[in-house]
Amino acid sequence: MTLTRREFLQRLGAFTGVWAGLSRVGEPVLGFLRTRSIRWPWYRGDEVRVTYNYCDMCMWRCGMLVYTVNGRVVKVEGNPKDPKSRGRLCGRGQAAVAHLYDPDRLRRPLIRTGERGTWSFREVTWEEALDRAAEALARLRDQYGPESVAWFAHTTGDFWFGDYLPLAFGSPNVGKPATGLCLTPREIAAQITFGRGFGGHEPVDWENTRYIVLIGNHIGENAHNTVMQDFARALARGAKLVVVDPRYSTAAMKAHRWLPIKPGTDTALLLAWMNVLITEGLYDREYIEKYTVGFERLAEHIRPFTPEWAAPITEIPAEVIREVAREMAVHRPRAVVPPGRHVVWYGNDTQRMRALCILNVLLGNYGRPGGFYIPRAPALDPYPHPPFPVEVAAGGCGAAAAGLKIPDTPGHPPRADGVGSKFATGPVVIQELIEPMITGQPFPIRGLVVYGVNLFHSIPNVPRTVEALKRLEFVLAIDVLPQEHLAWADIILPEATFLERYDELWVASHRTPYVALREPAVEPLPDTRPGWWIARELGLRLGLADYFSWSDIEEYLNTRLGSVGLSLDRLREEGGVFIWSGKPYLEDYGEGETPFPTPSGKIEIYSEALARAGLDPLPKYEPAEEPPPGYFRLLYGRHPLHTFGKTQNNPWLAEVYPENEVWINEEAAAALGLKSGDRVFLENQDGVRSGPVRVRATPRIRKDAVYLVHGFGHRGSRLSRAEGRGASDNMLITRYRLDPISGGAGMRVNFVRVIREA
Amino acid sequence: MAQLAMLIDTSRCLGCQACVIACKAGRELLPGERWIEIREVVWGRFPELRGAFVPHRCLHCTDAACVAVCPTRALYKQDGFTLVDFERCSGCGYCVEVCPFGVPRIVDGRVSKCASCIDLVRSGREPWCVQTCPAGALQCGPREEILAEARARVAALRDRYPDAQIYGETQMGGLGAILILTAPPEVLGLPAQPKAPPLALWKGGVQPLSLGALALSLLTSGIAFFIARRRHLEERQTGAGNNGSVSQPREAQRG
Repeated sequence: MTLTRREFLQRLGAFTGVWAGLSRVGEPVLGFLRTRSIRWPWYRGDEVRVTYNYCDMCMWRCGMLVYTVNGRVVKVEGNPKDPKSRGRLCGRGQAAVAHLYDPDRLRRPLIRTGERGTWSFREVTWEEALDRAAEALARLRDQYGPESVAWFAHTTGDFWFGDYLPLAFGSPNVGKPATGLCLTPREIAAQITFGRGFGGHEPVDWENTRYIVLIGNHIGENAHNTVMQDFARALARGAKLVVVDPRYSTAAMKAHRWLPIKPGTDTALLLAWMNVLITEGLYDREYIEKYTVGFERLAEHIRPFTPEWAAPITEIPAEVIREVAREMAVHRPRAVVPPGRHVVWYGNDTQRMRALCILNVLLGNYGRPGGFYIPRAPALDPYPHPPFPVEVAAGGCGAAAAGLKIPDTPGHPPRADGVGSKFATGPVVIQELIEPMITGQPFPIRGLVVYGVNLFHSIPNVPRTVEALKRLEFVLAIDVLPQEHLAWADIILPEATFLERYDELWVASHRTPYVALREPAVEPLPDTRPGWWIARELGLRLGLADYFSWSDIEEYLNTRLGSVGLSLDRLREEGGVFIWSGKPYLEDYGEGETPFPTPSGKIEIYSEALARAGLDPLPKYEPAEEPPPGYFRLLYGRHPLHTFGKTQNNPWLAEVYPENEVWINEEAAAALGLKSGDRVFLENQDGVRSGPVRVRATPRIRKDAVYLVHGFGHRGSRLSRAEGRGASDNMLITRYRLDPISGGAGMRVNFVRVIREA
Repeated sequence: MAQLAMLIDTSRCLGCQACVIACKAGRELLPGERWIEIREVVWGRFPELRGAFVPHRCLHCTDAACVAVCPTRALYKQDGFTLVDFERCSGCGYCVEVCPFGVPRIVDGRVSKCASCIDLVRSGREPWCVQTCPAGALQCGPREEILAEARARVAALRDRYPDAQIYGETQMGGLGAILILTAPPEVLGLPAQPKAPPLALWKGGVQPLSLGALALSLLTSGIAFFIARRRHLEERQTGAGNNGSVSQPREAQRG
C-alpha cells in the first residue's frame, strides 16, 4: 500500500489527534521556542521591520508597534501616538508574540468524524471546509429562516462574525459576551440617565479628578492599560481613593479607605450616600437645576435611606458612610464614582448602575473636568453595501453605546433572546440564546457560528450549554487555539492571529476620536487565514457577493478611510493612528445644543420611560440571597496577566501565572482545617464541582465569600499548558439572576463549599 | 557616561507585571527564565490591612558581591550597573550564593539576572521594563537625578505614607536601583542593611590570598622539583639512590 505524504499526514492527524506535532509547526514557531536564535541585540541593524496594530490580547485595543526580524515577530511595544497605549503595553500585550507562536495553535481546517465532544476530526482543505460550512448554513437559512442560526463572537476581530456577516446573512441572533455577561446593565442605565452609554472606554476624566470612589472595580488586576496609567497618575497627583470591595484588591492596597462591604448590598450604600448629599444640602444645586429633571422625586425617594439604615445592611459604619459622602461633596465636581466593568452581579444591576449614575449627577461631574468627559466617535462611512435585512442588535464592548432600539420591527426576523418578555430592552444577550437551542422557544435555533468565544468559560450554566450543543444541527467554530468547546464543532476553521492579518479599522469613540490600523507583520502561519478572508469566502458561497464587492482588504480599508480623507498610506505616515479633536466638556456645547439625547434633552434622574414600562423609575435596594450554612458566596475577577479564558495557554503568561488559587479568609480557612497550598475542590449549591485548586488563606477577603481568578480550570481542551490547571468559576456558575431591565446575567448568586482533595 | 540608576517607585506600582513580560520578550529570555519578579506583600489583620508590590530583581549594588566573587569576570560594573558578559560565564553559581538579595539564578548553565539594557540606554532609549510600565513606576537616568526625583517623591508621599522612604542610597555602597518604599524595608521583605555573606569576604580577601598561596605552592613545588631533579642527577652520576636496584641490572645488560 502506498500513501502520498498528504494522505499519510491526514491519517496521522486523524489517528493522533488534530493539532500539529513539533515537526510540523514550522520555522517561526521553532525559532520562537529556541529563542536567542537571532543575532543579539536583535533591535540593532536595518532588518527590523515595524508594522502597526491594535492589540487583541484583551478587547481594550491598545495601539502597537510590531517589530519583525527575518520574518519572525520578536517584540511588540506600545505605539507612542496611540491615545490608549501612549507607548506602553500591559503584560498581556507584551506577550502577543508568544500567542502568535503558541505551538498548540490550530493549523488546519477540520471536519468532525466522530461523536460531538470527542475531538474526532480529520484535516481537510480550506475549499472543502468552506464549501461544507456554507452548504450547512444555506440549508438552515432556506429551511428555517436566517434567524435559526445564532452567531457568537468576541475579541477585537469580532466585526466580521459578530456584525457584518450575520447581518448580511439576515440573523438578528448575534450574541457577544460583552453585553449580557458584562456591560449591558451599565450601558442601559447610562442610556436612560444621560441619553448615551458610557461606552467601551469609560470616559472618566482621570487627569483632573481629586476624589475617586471605586465599587467592585479592580484596576490593576483588571489591567486595562490606559486606566492603569491614568489611575496611577491621579494617585501620584494626590487624588484621594476610596475602594468598596469585599476583597482587599490591588486597588484597595492603594486606597485611603477600604470599605469591605457585604457582597450584594452596594445599592444600599449608593442610596445612603445620596441621602447624605441631599439631606445635608451638599449636592450641586446649580448643576441639578440646569441639566437635570426629576430631582424632587429623588429627594423624596431617598429620605428613608439614611446611613443608619444602610449600616447594618452593608456592614459599613454609618459614620464612615457619612464621612465619605461629605468628602465627595468637598471635592465635587472633581469627585467621581467610575462605573467599573463586568457589572452583572445580582440581577438588579441596571438599577444599581442607575444609582451610581445619579450619585455622580448629584456631584455635578458629568461633562465637567474631574468627572466624566463626553466622548465622540469619528464619522467613517461603512464600505458601500446593500441594506442589511436586519438591524444591528449585537451591541458589544466598543459599540455598547450604540443605542437601545429593539429591532423587532415588522418584516424583520425576530430575536430569540426574550427581549420584551424576559427583559425590557437592550442589545441581544448571549446567554438567552442557549435556551431556544434546547426548548425551541420562542422559536428554535438550529445552527451556531462561534468566533473567539469560549462557550464553557464565558456563558453561565455549562451543563445547559452542553445540552444545547448536543441538539444543534450545525456548529461552525472559527478560532486560533483548540479551546474545549471546539470539540463540539462540526467544522473548525483556524484563524490567523491579529499579528498576521489586516482587520476592520478600530474606529474609537474617545475623548479625542481616532482611527487605528491593524496590518499584518508576517504572513499567517500555514494553513491559517485572516477572519476577513474567511467571512468573505463564506459570504460568496452563501450568495452574498453584493456585500463583499471589494476586490481585496486593502481596497476595503482605503475606501472606508477615503470617506474622511485618509488612506492606508496616510495612516501609516501618521504613525498608525489618526486623531481628531473632541468636545469633552459641557462648556464645549453651545446654547440649544444638548449633549444629553434623552427624551427630555436633560439628565433624567427620574425616568418616565422606566415608569411607563412598569419598572422602578428610581433605584431601589433589593437584598440578595444569602449563602446557606457551610457555603461561601463565589466571587471571581481578573489577574493582570490573563484575559478571560483566552490566555492561560500563552507560553509566557502561563509561565508567570500558571494556575489560579481560591482565596479564603484565613480564619475561615483555619476553621476548616485548611492552610495555603492545600488542594481542594469547590462544590456549588447544585453539586457541581471544579478543581482541584490550591488554597490561598489570606486576610484579604471577608469570611462570607471566596474568590477565584476567572478563566482557569480548562478541562477537555487541547491546550497543553492550560489543560487541568486550577478551578473554573464559570463551571460553578450554574445559575444566574436575569436583570429585568437589560437582560444582564447576575452571576454572583452562586455558593460553594470547600472540600479537601481526597 | 555618568553613573546611572533605575528608579522603582513602589507607591505607584500596580503589580501588573508588564515589566516582567516586556523584559522576557525584549531580552529573548529562555523558557523559565525571568529577570524581574513582583512580590505581593500584605500585612495587618482584617480589615486593617496594608499592602505593596515589591520588585525582586537585580538592584545593581555598587559594592557588588557577585562581581567580587565572579571567577571569570563575566559579571562587571559599568556606569553604575552590574553587567553580564554571558560568553564568559562558566555557570559556577558563586554569584547565586553571595547576592544579599537572592537574585541571580543559573539557567541553562549560565547566570540569569538583569543585565540592564545598557545599550538601549546608550542609544537614547529606555530599558524594556521602564518603557512599558503603565503605572509610570520605573525610570532610568543619571543616578544623581534619580536620587533627586526620589527625594521629591518621598517628600510628597509623606502625608499619605508616613513611613515613605528611599532605599538604595547607601546600601551595598549605594544601589543602582533606587527604590521608593511606602513602609520600612523589613516589612516589605527587604534587608534594612544588606550584607554580603562571608563568601564575598572570602573572595575579596581570602581568594587573593589563596591565589598567593597557590603561587607560593607552585613556587615551592617548582623548587622542590628542581632540588629533586638535581639530587636525581647527582644520584645517577654516583650510581646510588632509590632507583639503583632497577637501573643497575639494565645498565649491567647494556654494559
